[in-house]
Amino acid sequence: MTPAIHYALAFLLVCGGALASRRIPKQVLLLAASYMFYSAWGTGFLVILAASSFLNFVFGELLRRRQTLPRLWAGVIANVGLLCFFKYLPALAGGSPDDLIHRIVMPAGMSFWTFQALSYLFDVYHEEEIEPSLLEFLLYMSFWPTVLMGPVCRLPNMLPQFRKVHRLSVTDVTAGLRLIAIGLWMKLILAQFLGAALSRAVEMEAVWGGVDVWLIAIGFGFQLFFDFAGYSNVVIGAARFFGFEIEQNFDAPYLSTTPSMFWAKWHMSLSSWIRDYVFVPMATRRRDLWWRFFAVAFSMVLFGLWHGATVAFLLWGTYHGMLLVLHRVGQQYQRRIGVMMDGRIGSFLSWLLTFLSISLGWVLFRTNDLHQALTMLKAVVTPARYADFVLPVDYYRVVLTVVIGYFGFAVLSGSSALREKIEHILMPVPGNANAVRRLMHFSWENRWWWVAPMLVVNVIAAALIVMSQSARVTPFIYTLF
Amino acid sequence: MDEAAQAQELVRYILQEIIHRPGTELTPDSPLVSSGLIDSFALVDILVKVEDVTNLRIPAGKIQAKDMDTVNLMLATAKRVGKPRKSK
Repeated sequence: MTPAIHYALAFLLVCGGALASRRIPKQVLLLAASYMFYSAWGTGFLVILAASSFLNFVFGELLRRRQTLPRLWAGVIANVGLLCFFKYLPALAGGSPDDLIHRIVMPAGMSFWTFQALSYLFDVYHEEEIEPSLLEFLLYMSFWPTVLMGPVCRLPNMLPQFRKVHRLSVTDVTAGLRLIAIGLWMKLILAQFLGAALSRAVEMEAVWGGVDVWLIAIGFGFQLFFDFAGYSNVVIGAARFFGFEIEQNFDAPYLSTTPSMFWAKWHMSLSSWIRDYVFVPMATRRRDLWWRFFAVAFSMVLFGLWHGATVAFLLWGTYHGMLLVLHRVGQQYQRRIGVMMDGRIGSFLSWLLTFLSISLGWVLFRTNDLHQALTMLKAVVTPARYADFVLPVDYYRVVLTVVIGYFGFAVLSGSSALREKIEHILMPVPGNANAVRRLMHFSWENRWWWVAPMLVVNVIAAALIVMSQSARVTPFIYTLF
Repeated sequence: MDEAAQAQELVRYILQEIIHRPGTELTPDSPLVSSGLIDSFALVDILVKVEDVTNLRIPAGKIQAKDMDTVNLMLATAKRVGKPRKSK
């Protein structure tokens, strides 16, 4: 069977699940759809996912009977061990690329569904009242919208939804379409344009100037954001279309005014996972301040290594750990000397500093190797290099257009004054509205009925143009993790 | 200290020591974590304060951010999982 047939059958099964009027048939159809969808990536992958799901269900049952640390650790070690075997062992092993160990391929989405399994074990250990059946747990682990690249879901959020028999509703369908349209726009247009320009820039092997490096870092940060947030919107929208609510994964992270706020808004499903299951339990173990700093640094290193076993990810995580610690120390110092960054100018400076610090970190995330990263960072800290401009003018145009466009849109859409003005224009005068005003008001109130399909058509047309010009669409970046 | 007094003391602590923003209004039911009012560091500071106010020891690993979203939730969580402190 070709992947296209897998996807088509999965879609039919999902539709069947959406129409099923009883709980068990609905869950069976959704599980069959999820397994059909996932097996398009390889039957072997499906076997590993099913085995891991079954194993974790057993660990969960054992933990429920007695919530002991050895039982929890056994489950954690089994999951982390399996993840290490597929994800980290081939990367860390030396020798020839032909060696057997280098032929190990990590099952798609393993980092995501392993963390889902771990959260289940932690929740059972925390005496959370969740008792999934085997069928429900298998569905939770393989749920078709999230199995490949998250968001990392939690069983207490998903279980009531698996148990509820949904009817397709107008609200869900329009909300779903809206998210899909926005997600496709972010991925196929914005991330694609940035990605194509960035690949050419990074592969140049040039001696970049200081401004060049900042533009590469900022450009990549936005590419990653549009790519992953776009993907998240598509899957959250697809789930919502069929009545399932998955929590958002990004919440305008680049508008954050502090690093800690950024991490509460970027890849939220993973950052909240690390906050809940690593940072808070670890930080509360001792009262010393140094221990709290160590806990945050450790959590961020773990966040970095979740992406892969490379020195660059280790440094990226450490960098963010240090950034969070420095921010905290700075906050305490400000309070001590009584100088607060309040008001518009203070908020702007705080935002700028956060944005630049976060962007600089993307150098470690994007570069091909550590040597390249160090070369780029050297250019940033060498004043003389700010006179060199190596990147083509086109790259500057693409990045600046997207970045300025994004912030312009964010400021305007966040402006309540502007929103009120639009609503004032469209709001019909009671009892006195003419037909045109009433139609305008109706169209505005129900805009996602026509805006979403229009956007989807628009995006597909634009994507076809982009694809025909740049040969192919860049794959989602997070498929690598 | 009864529960209402504990809640008031925590609200005062959060306003004066954590949020530091004049004009912010807070009640024992105001969401703190989900609203973005406090970050993870502050969460740990507050947890330590909850232990002091309630005179309970909250075992590490027995709480999640969602159990700490409001002052009333914090007190309920402390009551549920907390153990009496050993006198020094």
